[in-house]
Amino acid sequence: MTLPSERLLPRLFLILLLAVLALAGWQWRHGAPVSADLMELVPGSAPDALELKAEQRMQEPLNREMLVLVGQTDRQKAIALAQHLGERWQASGLFETVQWSLQADLPALREQLLASRLAMLTRADRQQLIEHPAAFIQQRVQSLFDPFASVSLVPSQDDWLGLTGRIQDSRPKPGAVQFDLGSGALIAEADGKSWVLLRARTRGNAFDMKLPIQVAALLKHSREEAAQDDAQLLAASGLLYAAAGQQQATREITWVGGGATFGILLLLLLAFRRWRVLLAFVPVLVGMLFGTVACVALFGHLHVMTLVLGASLIGVAVDYPLHYLSKSWSLKPWHSWPALRITLPGLSLSLATSCIGYLALAWTPFPALTQIAVFSAAGLLGAYLTAVCLLPALLKGTNLRPAQWPLRVCEVLLKVREALLRKVGSRLLLALLVLFCAGGLWHLTSKNDIRQWVGAPPQLLADAQAVARITGYQPTSQFFLVRGADQQQLLERQAALGERLDLLVSQGKLQGYQSLDQVVSLPREQQQLQDSLKQLPGFWQPLLDLGVPAAALQTELTQLQALPIQDIDSALKGPLSEPWRLLWLGAQTDGVAGMVSLRGLNNADLLRAQTDGLPGVKLVDRLGELNKVFAATQVSAAELKLASCVLIVLLLILPFGLRGALRIVALPLLAALCSLASLGWLGQPLTLFSLFGLLLVTAISVDYAILMREQIGGAAVSLLGTLLAALTTWLSFGLLAISSTPAVSNFGLAVSLGLAFSFLLAPWAARPAGKATTPQADHSVTAVDPSPIPPKPSNPTRSLCASD
Amino acid sequence: MNRLIRLCLLLCVGLSAHASAFDLQQLSEQLAKPSVIHGSFIQEKHLRALPQPLTSKGTFVLAKDHGLLWRLKTPLQQDYRISAKGIARRDPSGWQMVPNKSAGAEQNRLFIAVLQGDSSGLQRDFELQLQGDAQHWQLTLVPRSVLLKQIFTRINIDGGELVQRIELLETQGDSTVLRMQDSSAALPLSDAEQHDFAE
Repeated sequence: MTLPSERLLPRLFLILLLAVLALAGWQWRHGAPVSADLMELVPGSAPDALELKAEQRMQEPLNREMLVLVGQTDRQKAIALAQHLGERWQASGLFETVQWSLQADLPALREQLLASRLAMLTRADRQQLIEHPAAFIQQRVQSLFDPFASVSLVPSQDDWLGLTGRIQDSRPKPGAVQFDLGSGALIAEADGKSWVLLRARTRGNAFDMKLPIQVAALLKHSREEAAQDDAQLLAASGLLYAAAGQQQATREITWVGGGATFGILLLLLLAFRRWRVLLAFVPVLVGMLFGTVACVALFGHLHVMTLVLGASLIGVAVDYPLHYLSKSWSLKPWHSWPALRITLPGLSLSLATSCIGYLALAWTPFPALTQIAVFSAAGLLGAYLTAVCLLPALLKGTNLRPAQWPLRVCEVLLKVREALLRKVGSRLLLALLVLFCAGGLWHLTSKNDIRQWVGAPPQLLADAQAVARITGYQPTSQFFLVRGADQQQLLERQAALGERLDLLVSQGKLQGYQSLDQVVSLPREQQQLQDSLKQLPGFWQPLLDLGVPAAALQTELTQLQALPIQDIDSALKGPLSEPWRLLWLGAQTDGVAGMVSLRGLNNADLLRAQTDGLPGVKLVDRLGELNKVFAATQVSAAELKLASCVLIVLLLILPFGLRGALRIVALPLLAALCSLASLGWLGQPLTLFSLFGLLLVTAISVDYAILMREQIGGAAVSLLGTLLAALTTWLSFGLLAISSTPAVSNFGLAVSLGLAFSFLLAPWAARPAGKATTPQADHSVTAVDPSPIPPKPSNPTRSLCASD
Repeated sequence: MNRLIRLCLLLCVGLSAHASAFDLQQLSEQLAKPSVIHGSFIQEKHLRALPQPLTSKGTFVLAKDHGLLWRLKTPLQQDYRISAKGIARRDPSGWQMVPNKSAGAEQNRLFIAVLQGDSSGLQRDFELQLQGDAQHWQLTLVPRSVLLKQIFTRINIDGGELVQRIELLETQGDSTVLRMQDSSAALPLSDAEQHDFAE
């Protein structure tokens, strides 16, 4: 019964397996090469190195900084608690800095204010000084007597003209947050509570595998502690999303992987009633190993999202052993190698079609899907090789006596179908199906948003919104990238953009913005201001009247005229410029570049319109672009699906002829259409991910059509094989539908629907006569595989009787 | 400088100090009694670089339930108003709210909070020392926080029935003296004053 090649195969395969295991061991030598960086998964659409650099610069604080508000009805207690937490966190070693109070370095601030008296003066103040010096002096006199002007950091005698005071007052306010002079804390008042701002900057970033979880744990602990003092903590950070995402991925891998494994093992035991049949799970394990090794080899690491979706591969990989195990209902006695021999062509076709389906995903512009495609294709290959080379040897000598009730169920199902067809007829059913599809597609809506990738817990979102509302500070990933030939041009362009943005701010359409020209005015303007100082002595009589010595004023004027013109680099050095520093990208190969950052959630179209007629200014809106890529990819995914179908048809022409191949491919396509319609009827939106799911299910369910077409062992046995295959696949993909990441759950839902329809439609793959029991299909199989096929009962009813 | 005025007001309105001795508590009650105070002020700003101080004069009205009117008369004329709404300045077209400025807004908030009877802020930021009796007392405020110490060294407040003199010593060497004269709690708000607060 066993051919010589079949003795050799298991040994060769074991050598291969050992080699792969060794490779895996080497790959994991520094620990798990697993990554959780969400941005790795989305298309890298920024072709420009500078844009990429700018983007990373803007993203960095979002991924490393955490904003926490400590809220208490008693202001004092809030400050004390913030201080306590700040000290504790600093001691935790997780953070580079934890800041709860601004213990400002006043001498350094004074020094910068004095040095930047000309460079940092706002446009309006500069114009007043140049064009209306009398009014300027008058205002200065008033402010000297004004008992309610804010504290000036620079004493009057160092700045008789009051330029530093004007600069101090013109600095953009940090949202609704106010500075508490006593403690140095930043405090906002809202909802009857005082909220003290605590800012922490972590050592690693959000995509470090351990850090986010540690930070989230520390925060949770601090929250509990705060609750004991009747205080509330609100936190916002990219880190917390990363932590939630990681925990969720781990949970889902456990649930989906564990659930699928348990379900499939149970199914195997119920159907075949032999412990040894559990060995059918070996191909699954080997498949996982191959997938992981291939991914790490190609991409250098494995993404957690790949692992979540990859866990669903379990259900597909187990189909290979099922192919020949299910023949035990018709082959009596069942022997592993001969059973493999008859099913080998079907198995190989199945591998080819599934791989085509998965690899089609690799051509989408999504690195995530490329990884999943590679993981799955390699995994399937591993499972196939195990099923073909190793498993038969392991199962050798096993006498399978499967339970008979599943077969009876399938027979009943077939009878019901026949009875239905007699009454209604295929054509009418098809017409009804078309109506169902048309109606469903009518209701189908499409939705694409990057946020589908992130299943953020509502608590986190609510917290982040509360922080944005209370502090009035809402960072956004949108920004303007501005280039110029030199600093002068860059600042000119930023200033021109700034004028337009000021208008938006005054209209309430933009919360605020930061640009480099806010810390340093154009060198030309600084020069102009310096020149205009000459006229001042003609206007400063009111100051002299107050008793300010003329010599003191003259000295100050001389100092001002001697102030060096500041450039961006020198302007950014002082403590006042700290928030602006990240906006400066410095010298590039073709000039200089800087950014203008924005606050609040803004309309991208409105922002883009602001760049009209401003050369060198570009809006960078990564999320918005991604959403566009999503929508565009939907179209290309549909094209890919058709292309993969054409490829599968070409492949199937060989064994089944053109008509057979078309029929086999038409059924999964129809099933996909029905799934789309069902999504419509269910009110679920069509997303890129559901489309990918359908793309995949087409490839997988071609397998069912082939099984039903071949009819090895009769219609009922084939239907049973299909049912088992569909059930195991559904067990793993269907479980994805429970994922809290919308993208993953959409995928799972689409695949589940597709599988159900594929199973329902598969019987139509049989030859048109509807005489399901004719052993015609065997010819096509023998045409491909000339290996001796043991005589087998072609009538399942007869075999049933025999076993009875 | 403005800090000075506000501290003065703090005291005028009432100092709910948690003092152990009779003094702070009593002073607090004593200052909280009158509902309206009219008076005039002289403000002297002693700048290190100037041989003589910058002197300004004017009148003020402090109303417990409304806020403060501060009318600068010489050397220039300017009216100010502090109320729960914030600081306003009068120009020819009427009262104009002064936009909240980062540090100023916080001081203002503190002041308003105290004006409304929540005076916990003062003890938090300063060490208080009281000497003398109800007719002649002197209160010294020494800043506690590092930040405040970089701005003031000390604040001295003298008074009898009402506050009479406030002296603020800045770390950089400048100082300001504010003298409140002819303070009287006898008159209620005039119609014009009521109108000023209401507008």
